[in-house]
Amino acid sequence: MYPKLAAFALVVTSWAAFAQSPPAGYPADYAQTIAAANKEGKVVIYSALDTKAAQPLIKDFNALYPNVKVEYNDMNSTEMYNRFIAEAASGQGSADVMWSSAMDLQVKLVDDGQAMAYTSPEAAKLPTWAVYKNQAYGTTYEPAVFIYNKRLVTGDEIPQDHAAFAKIINTKTDKFKGKVTTYDIEKSGVGFMFVVQDTKFFPGMKDLEKGFGATSYKVYSSTGNMLEKVSSGEHLLGYNVLGSYALVRAKKDPNLGVVLPKDYTLVLSRVMFIGKQAKNPNAAKLWTDYVLSQRGQKLIGSDVELFSIRNDVDAEYTAASLNKQLGSNVKPIPVSAEIVTYLDQKKRLEFLSNWKAALTGTK
Amino acid sequence: MATVASPRASVGGASGAAAWLAQAPRALTIIVTAAAVFAPLSLILYQSVLSAPFFDVRKTLGLEAYEFIFADPDFWQALLNSVLIAAGMTLIAVPLGAVLAFVMERTDFPGKRWIEPMLLVPSFVSPMVLSFGYVVAAGPVGFYSVWATELFGGIPWGLYSLPAMAVIAGLTHVPNVYIYASSALKSLGSDVEEAARVVGASPFRVAVTVSLPLIMPALLFSAVLVFFLGIELFGLPLVLGDPEGHLVLSTYLYKLTNKLGTPSYHLMAAVAICIVAMTFPLVLLQRKLLQNARKYATIKGKAGRIRELPLGKWKWLAVGLLGFWLFVSVVVPLSGIALRAFVNNWGFGVSLVEAFTLDNFRAVFDEPTHVRAIWNTILIGTVGGAITVACYTAIGFATHRRNDGWSRVVDYLVLVPRAVPGLLIGLAFLWVFLFFPPLTPLRQTIFSMCLAYTVVWLAYGMRLVSSSLMQVSTELEEAARTVGASRGRISRDITLPLIRHGLIGSWLLVFMIFEREYSTGVYLLAPGTEVIGAQLVSLWQGGAIDVVAALSLINIVLVFIGLAFALRFGVKLRD
Amino acid sequence: MAELTVENLHLKYGDNPILKGVALTLNRGEVVSLLGPSGSGKTTLLRAVAGLEVPHEGSIKIADKVVFNGANGIDTPAEGRNLGLVFQSYALWPHKTVYDNVAYGLKLRKIAGSDVKKRVNDALAQLSLDHLAERFPHQLSGGQQQRVALARALVYNPPVILLDEPLSNLDAKLREEARAWLRELIVRMQLSALCVTHDQGEALAMSDRILLLNGGKIEQQGTPQQMYSNPESLFTADFMGSNNRLTGRIVEISNGSALLEGTGWKLWGAAKSSAKSGTPGVGMIRLERIRIAAGPGDNHLAADLTTSMYLGDKWEHLFALGEERLRAYGDRPLSTGQHWLEVPKSELWVF
Repeated sequence: MYPKLAAFALVVTSWAAFAQSPPAGYPADYAQTIAAANKEGKVVIYSALDTKAAQPLIKDFNALYPNVKVEYNDMNSTEMYNRFIAEAASGQGSADVMWSSAMDLQVKLVDDGQAMAYTSPEAAKLPTWAVYKNQAYGTTYEPAVFIYNKRLVTGDEIPQDHAAFAKIINTKTDKFKGKVTTYDIEKSGVGFMFVVQDTKFFPGMKDLEKGFGATSYKVYSSTGNMLEKVSSGEHLLGYNVLGSYALVRAKKDPNLGVVLPKDYTLVLSRVMFIGKQAKNPNAAKLWTDYVLSQRGQKLIGSDVELFSIRNDVDAEYTAASLNKQLGSNVKPIPVSAEIVTYLDQKKRLEFLSNWKAALTGTK
Repeated sequence: MATVASPRASVGGASGAAAWLAQAPRALTIIVTAAAVFAPLSLILYQSVLSAPFFDVRKTLGLEAYEFIFADPDFWQALLNSVLIAAGMTLIAVPLGAVLAFVMERTDFPGKRWIEPMLLVPSFVSPMVLSFGYVVAAGPVGFYSVWATELFGGIPWGLYSLPAMAVIAGLTHVPNVYIYASSALKSLGSDVEEAARVVGASPFRVAVTVSLPLIMPALLFSAVLVFFLGIELFGLPLVLGDPEGHLVLSTYLYKLTNKLGTPSYHLMAAVAICIVAMTFPLVLLQRKLLQNARKYATIKGKAGRIRELPLGKWKWLAVGLLGFWLFVSVVVPLSGIALRAFVNNWGFGVSLVEAFTLDNFRAVFDEPTHVRAIWNTILIGTVGGAITVACYTAIGFATHRRNDGWSRVVDYLVLVPRAVPGLLIGLAFLWVFLFFPPLTPLRQTIFSMCLAYTVVWLAYGMRLVSSSLMQVSTELEEAARTVGASRGRISRDITLPLIRHGLIGSWLLVFMIFEREYSTGVYLLAPGTEVIGAQLVSLWQGGAIDVVAALSLINIVLVFIGLAFALRFGVKLRD
Repeated sequence: MAELTVENLHLKYGDNPILKGVALTLNRGEVVSLLGPSGSGKTTLLRAVAGLEVPHEGSIKIADKVVFNGANGIDTPAEGRNLGLVFQSYALWPHKTVYDNVAYGLKLRKIAGSDVKKRVNDALAQLSLDHLAERFPHQLSGGQQQRVALARALVYNPPVILLDEPLSNLDAKLREEARAWLRELIVRMQLSALCVTHDQGEALAMSDRILLLNGGKIEQQGTPQQMYSNPESLFTADFMGSNNRLTGRIVEISNGSALLEGTGWKLWGAAKSSAKSGTPGVGMIRLERIRIAAGPGDNHLAADLTTSMYLGDKWEHLFALGEERLRAYGDRPLSTGQHWLEVPKSELWVF
């Protein structure tokens, strides 16, 4: 069905650029959306995924909709947020599509009324936790993993679950002193989100925090930095590292080992929404639907090297394969009101001070 | 024959309107400059007394931002660390830069043409990449460290410590001081040095007791500038400070960005205002120290020859000094970067031969945006840089030889933009272009980034131009007036040709800055105008550190070759 | 017709008055020197005429055009005054060739290219610089640079040229030659020149008139002969030549002569306006006017020979008379011991 669809779309495209048929399973009036998008001519995307990684998606999208140019701006999630809210407030028009791994900030923007209501035809195929108010959608399925240096950490020093991690660093403190790393939850929104979820699912969190304190853990804001340091042996263990990057690196780096925690694995989903003031709303719809479609998700799970969120996609990295491996122990962070709780300043600072106290084992 | 006390203005004449018009270009330049500086600054100041982003309807006025940061122990720690690093760095960079400038400008040290571009290398490498190079080379599992462990049984240095950061920062900022010091030394007549030699002073004593004291204004000025670069340091403390938790003001700002969940502009603004407040006493101090600077040398109408001081046996000391600096500031980090570019993994137990790969370079060339970024940056550096220098020249002319209130205002103005940390100034420029209606159409053009860069680096680029201007003797301009040249013609026909070395020096400095700049223009970028700095950061955040290394290396090599070429054949920093 | 008229010019730097009411006229074809010690304001006056300094009172008129008037607020900027100025340091533009240095003024006046070429080459030829047209200033000797500066000032035929210490940068031998040809050039070209100099010999040799400035005011003005032979004040007498100075008391004045008395000597001299009977007085006589006498006589002094200096063309003898020191010329060496000096009454000025 899929290759036929592609062939059909291409043939139709080569005949009449503007009168394109909607993909199979889409409502008939989608053709109007496509026509309107062709008139708009471009879609402006702000995304935290770097351009190089997104290239396969962009190329394929353009194969499907050659008249819609993709203006892809990659910047980190904080920059995206800063730019978006300033542009929106000035009424100058901003991104058509916001696609960020800072799930909490994305949800907040939706709550602030910055997102356009749009029910994607693909929405039904997504898990319920990944759809928020029919305005924002989770698009990927990236696990939080443990990493370790293969040369220096062996056998039962390799933590297979959270409790083991806590135990290892609490007992072998000397070996791991200064060699355990994770996100700086003050600097990294993603790291903070993971840890908040951890407190939900891991009762022994305090022990883990105590272990971090005992081993003088090293914190960073950049995933790449952590991967480098564990790979080079400067550090030995990494906690809650974003799996998409870790697994890609582990493929070509013989030093790096990756563990999907067996008791539960947190999953992050990059959130996408269409800006309310979007200048190219129809093109934005095309893009959103494309990314959520089987075709787009297949690429996400393969060439783009993130994890596909859909269960009906056959690729290297998919939710299905993760779910098969870990069963019900996969805990995706929901795209919901829950995750903005800690955007409240007071709550957040309280959490941080508790964390700091726990490091010294005083709580 | 000094006319300091009664400067001759082109006022008067039969018509008052004509006179006012003659002042107009100067007044206009100063007003535009002031506006360009005050626009982002006033936004930041306003923001600091609010409780939410200034465009947010829910905002309220108040000093909560200041209360918060003053109550935050991290702020004070960061402030202390920043001041310590900045001070240490200045103490290292200024003397070293001055001595190197002396050796290169005034002595017969061999191979100057080839060494000069190498001296400038640390300036056009992105600080984050440079620091990362140090980690690969001399970090806890760096290959120099491994060798040291084999030789000495341990690593005698701690890369992640405050002193190490100050030392590295100091050494890598030597080029900044070098450019100012060598520009100033160019105008010194040989006779003062020869007189000292005759009396019996060695080249070292000549440097320390004659030449360098005579360029004290340039040295003091570069000390202030380097100090502010130190306060503003970001990439280096991010990479080298984080492991041990050493916070500086810019990384503290970075922390504030996410600590409260949503970016807290008012807190960031409060920190920035505190730093800006530091500029005033510093500039005041600098002005005070320069009160006695009237006695310093200028080019008179008589053209003199500069004769090089023979170094004799001091040559070996100079070689040693230069070699040491080159090794620590250039060889160590670049070898780190180069190594990382050629392997796919490194560190403990890794055989470098086994890990060797060219994949990283392939990755660079496979991606058209990378290659485009290199050429874009070079283009922006050369063309944009030229425009920027033109702006600086205009401002330089406006404040040239006028010791009145206007010039004093400009003196303070120019340093302020650099006092604001990069993270925030970039944001401030976005706000300016978004919320000041006349400027909004320009936001999406390359002009906006150019403007942002020009304003932020005002103090640095302008200094070279204005010091060159000071060296042009008043008489040369007066002579032109007596033969009938108007002020405009004098600037064009007489002054401008005579300051060309200053202009070139300024352009070079600006080019180097554009090469590594990131945060100032980050919100003003558009696809198609990607620059190297942004590419590197984006790749870094995506974890592609190997590609970062490869891309950096290619960029460094290209810039170095270009620079060497330019210096060798056309662009002359010396006569 | 006066080419340049300056009236009642006052100028101060901040609170410090430099010129305290100076007036002068310069006629066509005249060379006038502004003479005076450093700090007397002569350079400031020159620069004020040029428009490079701003007076606060007075007026300056060039040909028949008022370029400055403190009362009316008229102040033509320097570039509009059409004067020529030769700087003490020459101020040649180092980045322009000799040709370009000279041609610049003509180009500014929008003169056609071929005319420019002709006039520049003429000017260069007149100053024997034609073979140096393509050289740069740093490739020229001091004398050559001076001539270029002059050519640059003259090429556009200004009514007045101003020269600031034109000869002070030249070595002694060159200076003497330059004195002659500079004056000859100015006269031949029918120029009007205002010269600043601190060297009275230069002023005497070159000028039609000399203005001696003292502390921002004109002490005395006149022809070189008047200035030299008929000084009206002690300052002028002292400045204008090499003198012997005798301090004493004026005991008597009669018929324009004064009797000056010192320790062990008494001399009659010409009484100047400031001489008053019964007050201390100073007697001045030029070195060359005091003569070595064969023996005692009227208005003769007895003095001891201290030393003699051979100057090539003459001897200079130093004498001591009590506390006074006297110098005289002679054409032969003298024996040590006491000698008689004749002080002609008309040559001794008593102030």
